[in-house]
Amino acid sequence: MTECRRLLVPLCWFSLLLAATLGMGQLEGLFRVIEPDSRQVIYERADFLSLLGRHLSVVGAAAVLAILIGVGAAIAVTRPRGRDFLPLVSQLASMGQTFPPVAVLALAVPVLGFGTLPIIVALLLYGLLPIVRNTLVGILGIDPSVREAARGMGMGSGQILRQVELPLAAPVILAGIRTSVTINIATAAIGATVGASNLGDPIISGIVNGNTAYVVQGALLIGLLALSVDSLFSRLPSPIVR
Amino acid sequence: MIDLIHVTKRFGAATAVDDISLSVARGELCVLVGTSGCGKSTTLRMINRLIEHSEGEIHIDGQQIRDFREESLRRRMGYAIQSTGLFPHWTVARNIGLVPRLLKWPAAKVRARVEELMALLGLSMEEFADKYPHQLSGGQAQRVGVARALAADPEILLMDEPFGALDPLTRESLQEELRELQSRLQKTIVFVTHDMDEALRLADHLVVMHQGRIKQQGRPLELLREPTDAFVESLLGGEDRGLKEAALLPVSQRMLPLGPRLLARERIGQQASLREALSLMLWRHAERLTVVDDDDLPVGELSLRRLVGVRSDD
Repeated sequence: MTECRRLLVPLCWFSLLLAATLGMGQLEGLFRVIEPDSRQVIYERADFLSLLGRHLSVVGAAAVLAILIGVGAAIAVTRPRGRDFLPLVSQLASMGQTFPPVAVLALAVPVLGFGTLPIIVALLLYGLLPIVRNTLVGILGIDPSVREAARGMGMGSGQILRQVELPLAAPVILAGIRTSVTINIATAAIGATVGASNLGDPIISGIVNGNTAYVVQGALLIGLLALSVDSLFSRLPSPIVR
Repeated sequence: MIDLIHVTKRFGAATAVDDISLSVARGELCVLVGTSGCGKSTTLRMINRLIEHSEGEIHIDGQQIRDFREESLRRRMGYAIQSTGLFPHWTVARNIGLVPRLLKWPAAKVRARVEELMALLGLSMEEFADKYPHQLSGGQAQRVGVARALAADPEILLMDEPFGALDPLTRESLQEELRELQSRLQKTIVFVTHDMDEALRLADHLVVMHQGRIKQQGRPLELLREPTDAFVESLLGGEDRGLKEAALLPVSQRMLPLGPRLLARERIGQQASLREALSLMLWRHAERLTVVDDDDLPVGELSLRRLVGVRSDD
């Protein structure tokens, strides 16, 4: 019962998203108002559902990679053996975020070619910082006496990591992942410029053809997707009490 | 049971612990006392290898501690610290059951042991088992810390200022409980504190440390009566040295058998300390006390002259 209630808000957002994706054609009259002069007001080069699917899979792939690399790197540099690399890693991650995704795309395309790969690389670099930073903060913020007691009780380093450090840092790490994914849902739209077709397509195409209705359609769906995913994160069961 | 033989610990150029030798017999409560930075905590943490010693040898039961795997060595010893170090994301029951689970006890046995320990430390199962550490008072949390240290029934217990952060009342009652627990369980305990009264109250064997060295060790009364150097004297002595000694001596040691005289009105138990007796005399303006046994039956009397140690009475 409480489980259902907790998921109610994300469910509402997702149904709204799905309704908008499938029923965009029904809103033709509305878009006609925005764009009275165009011959066509509903983007039809690809259906919105498959655009949404591709958008999600690009963001998802980038997120999985960013989590693996980001959490892994943060764990590695908080071990006694990796401590020396801690400043380096946190600096690299900050640099990843200052690097504009468009610039990454421009650099990646000559190497990786057009398509989805360069946008995944760009999103991965862009999404790494919040995950690395939050994992570091989460792990380093644990009361040292807890770690001391864990060692003193005879827990091995792997046991301390799995049973103590990660569960205690989990809320902070999750917050980092949430930020990273939400930002990347919006950022992924620029992938449309390098031929990765996703919800950015209608936006880019609308800008190029001077069709504001297309832009609004793409932006609407991306916005709904970001809100849905974000509200899902906020409802995730927290593994720690308080 | 625990032997430190010419043990030294250096951190870089600094020497934290300088050539100390110390033996703790089985069932003995050994208290390391000294000012902060004297190396007492370092010494304790070398015993369970949270800190590796630089020179010398440390033996447990005649075996070098370096022959054990670190984790298995630590699981054989209880460890309680001032800040408790309870895991904030685990319930009280789960915290207490930590070491038994690490030792892969079956779940039912762990549960039974947790219940037993909570009863032992006066924590009611219904009230506390499912609470989280942040819901406990300082004294309760420290009880849980001690229960966790005792969980796998280790022969050795290492305690690093476990009562240091508690208010004086709670501290005293926990000291009392520890003494009672110790008389029942007969663990070998190494206890670190900077509080001299706590040290005198608890110790079978008292070790005074200063600047990484052992200044003097022995029974508390020995140190109190015959300090071998000025530092020990200043730490133990001061204005209330006589009271400190009186706190260590039971009334039964100075009382006289019941005489022909009428019983004095004020009564005191024979296990009470001379300090308590003196306090009672001061408070009640009484020169004589009737000493009673555990069943409140008179067994002797104590006069002020006897209490202060004048040999011949009257």
